Amino acid sequence: MRVEDARLVTGGGKFAADWNFPGQLHAQFVRSDRAHAEIVSVNAEAARKHPGVKGIFTGADAVRAGYTKAPHSLAFPGINGMQTRAPERPVLAHGKVRFVGEALALVVAESAAAAVDAAELIEVEYRDLPAVVSPEGALENGAPQLHEGVVPGNLALETEAGDAAAVDTAFANAAHITRLKLEVTRVAPNPMEPRACLVKHDPADGSYLFHVCTQGITTLRKQLSVYTAVPEDRIRFEVRDVGGGFGQRTPAYPEYCALMIAAKETARPVRWVSTRSEGFVSDTHGRGNIIDGALALDRDARFLAMRLDWVNDMGAYLSPASPGHIRNTTICMTGVYRIPALYAHYRVSLTNTTPVSSYRGAGRPDIAYVVERLVSQVAAELDIDAAELRRRNFIPPEAFPYKTPTGSTYEYADLPGLLDKALRLADWKGFSKRRARSKKLGKLRGLGISTVIENTGAGQAPKDEVELELDARGTVIVDTVSKSQGHSHETTLAMIVSDALGLPLERIEVRQCAPEKQHLVGGHTGGSRTTVGAGSVCHLAGLKLIEHGRSLAALDLGVEPSQVEYAAGVFHTEGSQRKIRLGDLAKNGAVSVVAEGKFGSTFPNGCHIVEVEIDPETGAAEIATYSTVDDCGKVINHTVVEGQLHGGIAQGAGQVFGEHIVYDRDTGQMLTGSFMDYCMPRAGMLRGVNTEEHPTASKVSPLGVKGVGESGCTASLPAVANAVVDALRPLGVGHLDMPMTPAKLWHAVRAARKGGN
Amino acid sequence: MYALNYVKVKSLTEAAKMLASNPEAKLLAGGMTLVPTLKQRLAQPSHLVDIGGLPELRGITAKAGALTIGAATKHHEVATSAVVKKAIPTLAYLAGLIGDPQVRNMGTIGGSVANNDPASDYPAAVLGLGATVVTNKREIAADDYFQGLFTTALEEGEIITRIVFPVPKRAAYAKFAHPASGYAMAGVFAAQTASGTRVAVTGAGPGVFRWKAAEAALGKSLKAAAIDGARLDAGEMNEDIHATREYRANLVRVMAKRAVAKLSGKK
Repeated sequence: MRVEDARLVTGGGKFAADWNFPGQLHAQFVRSDRAHAEIVSVNAEAARKHPGVKGIFTGADAVRAGYTKAPHSLAFPGINGMQTRAPERPVLAHGKVRFVGEALALVVAESAAAAVDAAELIEVEYRDLPAVVSPEGALENGAPQLHEGVVPGNLALETEAGDAAAVDTAFANAAHITRLKLEVTRVAPNPMEPRACLVKHDPADGSYLFHVCTQGITTLRKQLSVYTAVPEDRIRFEVRDVGGGFGQRTPAYPEYCALMIAAKETARPVRWVSTRSEGFVSDTHGRGNIIDGALALDRDARFLAMRLDWVNDMGAYLSPASPGHIRNTTICMTGVYRIPALYAHYRVSLTNTTPVSSYRGAGRPDIAYVVERLVSQVAAELDIDAAELRRRNFIPPEAFPYKTPTGSTYEYADLPGLLDKALRLADWKGFSKRRARSKKLGKLRGLGISTVIENTGAGQAPKDEVELELDARGTVIVDTVSKSQGHSHETTLAMIVSDALGLPLERIEVRQCAPEKQHLVGGHTGGSRTTVGAGSVCHLAGLKLIEHGRSLAALDLGVEPSQVEYAAGVFHTEGSQRKIRLGDLAKNGAVSVVAEGKFGSTFPNGCHIVEVEIDPETGAAEIATYSTVDDCGKVINHTVVEGQLHGGIAQGAGQVFGEHIVYDRDTGQMLTGSFMDYCMPRAGMLRGVNTEEHPTASKVSPLGVKGVGESGCTASLPAVANAVVDALRPLGVGHLDMPMTPAKLWHAVRAARKGGN
Repeated sequence: MYALNYVKVKSLTEAAKMLASNPEAKLLAGGMTLVPTLKQRLAQPSHLVDIGGLPELRGITAKAGALTIGAATKHHEVATSAVVKKAIPTLAYLAGLIGDPQVRNMGTIGGSVANNDPASDYPAAVLGLGATVVTNKREIAADDYFQGLFTTALEEGEIITRIVFPVPKRAAYAKFAHPASGYAMAGVFAAQTASGTRVAVTGAGPGVFRWKAAEAALGKSLKAAAIDGARLDAGEMNEDIHATREYRANLVRVMAKRAVAKLSGKK
């Protein structure tokens, strides 16, 4: 059992919507039911008169408050010094709506029912405009313009990485070039806990207190402050459990700022709880990239160069976390391979769709998908074993730390060792027998592999701080501003401190974002960051507490600190019977230390091997076996790490097989706005995972750990897709895009059989 | 949900009276379709007349070659009933495929048949077995009962009380579940009955239907291969973002073959 398990599985968790403020009002947003339109008028007269209604706010109020400049962080320059064209986004739409689900008015009332009733009475008159939902279509001449004059051609940023000339030369001299156009589909992250936000304004000091789903208060606080100009020290939080995040719970959403307006204007706390249907259209989406890729090889099938042309769909507005779509794909662009020349070109496109933001991996699964699909495609085209081709092109162990052509530096990875272990675990050599056996049963069996590496752990916070507070009972409270959304931080961080101090786990209590500790500096939980960042600092804090305790104990023992030894919660000095327990130091008041550090990036890596079986009669695909060998550095808790891997693998496989946000091309309406049409993976999709560890200690973190939160989906996305394509390859199918639904697979089989034999 | 009146009636007669005096009233049994519809504010009944707990609508009995299931019997009860498993095991199997455990413990057979969702499972069994839908007013043969997308022979104020299934020689159901919703993308119920082989299809078309060409082919040869030659017009199938008409038509054929293979198998 992990420390938090009993609480969470017995209903003892306290999530955002479990909070209530005395005297609170209930909020309901009015959302656009069209993809692109001018707002001619908003008539709220009838709604204002509805019993229980205490306030109605519209885009005009948002503009009056000055809450229009949405934070974004595409801060790096583009081609020819181009700066990001960032559209304004009033927290309630003003003048125009640009996607279905965009909030344009807010009703607050004495009851949730009154707010919903009144919201229905608000009459919005629109003048419809043509909409564009395809990111490539949005960049074409004559496409509807979302932000006239601000984002010409709907192109928010055009940027590049690598060396175009070197790539051109390499391609000109290549013996073989493999090309693929790939789509990493747009998905809805769908955390289990729907979004909720409660806000209370204190006129005495102009502060706001939030109960909200969050991945950590520091990033959210900063973004809220940027959006509203309310100083960061006037934004406070009281948060406990969070039911899933995947990046989607990181940003400062416009709704939160609109609720701030309502709380201030009505002088009443305001409570808003999203429905799942609302979440589909208003919570940020993930992925949404189209990539034209090409990989050039010499006659020995060694990689010479890779060229990628990206179109990144950001939806109607830039989200605060959009750079991951570009930066993480350049940091890991070379994958696990020595590819001497790389060039990537990016066009960031705005469309009449829900904004896109980070989603588990934030660009890392996307680039892994592109590289690993290209590599397996090369193997198929040249008839080389997909594992052997990888081995031939791996960055060799002696080349680490490896400086990539796009400017990042990978820490050590034992790729051949990893691959060997995975090939054995998956019985790679026995596949042809299993394929033959499946064939006898009328099934098409496919083998897919991915070998991936990714940057994890770094963040935008200048450092991570952790405070340890020791009380007279010898209990140590660990304070951090990271925030578990189901990551078991209360277990992992406590184990780190417990190890450092030699104390039993029960003596350690981890608190995250405690109200009185919100001055601590640190990253939010995202980017597989917390064990690497806050976790490493927990270790340092434990050592610091020992050192501090040693000097206190030395005073007491009348010796020099260097003469004091510490073990398992007890200080003593040679030649004396006296022992000083850790708790004794806090007899006259708690003893606390604050440690700090900045760690990352670490580079976890892994090899995933998947076998799928496809029923050609129905197109139904099943994962037959799934084997992984992962190097996520030193493992603190195997259950936690396996849980992260399993969840990540399921998210990647779920995207390959079914998850997909679809918009109607003409109307811009979302066609997959509920679980009736949006295919969330079920537990049965992934019935078992053979997991082995292949740890190499990270030198970046004092613990030797590497981030693991995202590596599961980074590896599973390409591995599963490669397996499905491999299953159909004998029929002549060369490539399929996600989602690889039964219908799509059946059509592919049928088309191949008609066209081929 | 809009404000409405909730009435838990004590008898079928009281329910019928409520419906007669309130034209905007709706019956509530398990609520597995109605409640989500209400939550989305897509319906605004004046009253919800809850008949889910009426003893006269419950119970499962088998006698004289017929299995009778009360309209308010829950899917889970059908799926696990020893009586159903003995009389028509395929019906228990089918009930166990509906929704998820929560749905199966709330949803009722009468509610499903009254709603006639074009992708729900029970209509395939009712039509495939040539069952009789018994209401508080009359008995309706399955062949007359289902009239396309969410449409049935039920009149205003008419309440299903039970479904009477003639026990077939053999029956089998093969379902291809929609990957998102779990409803049938195509579900085929095949039965060897006293009046010949019947094949009912759900999920693929605008409503449950009998595939007469397959029935004719199976009449000549009760083998899966007989289905290959049976005519099926893909143009009459549904098409949406999840599946083309051709794919659905293919699924119907494949599921029919699998159902027939099960028929001729042991159980």
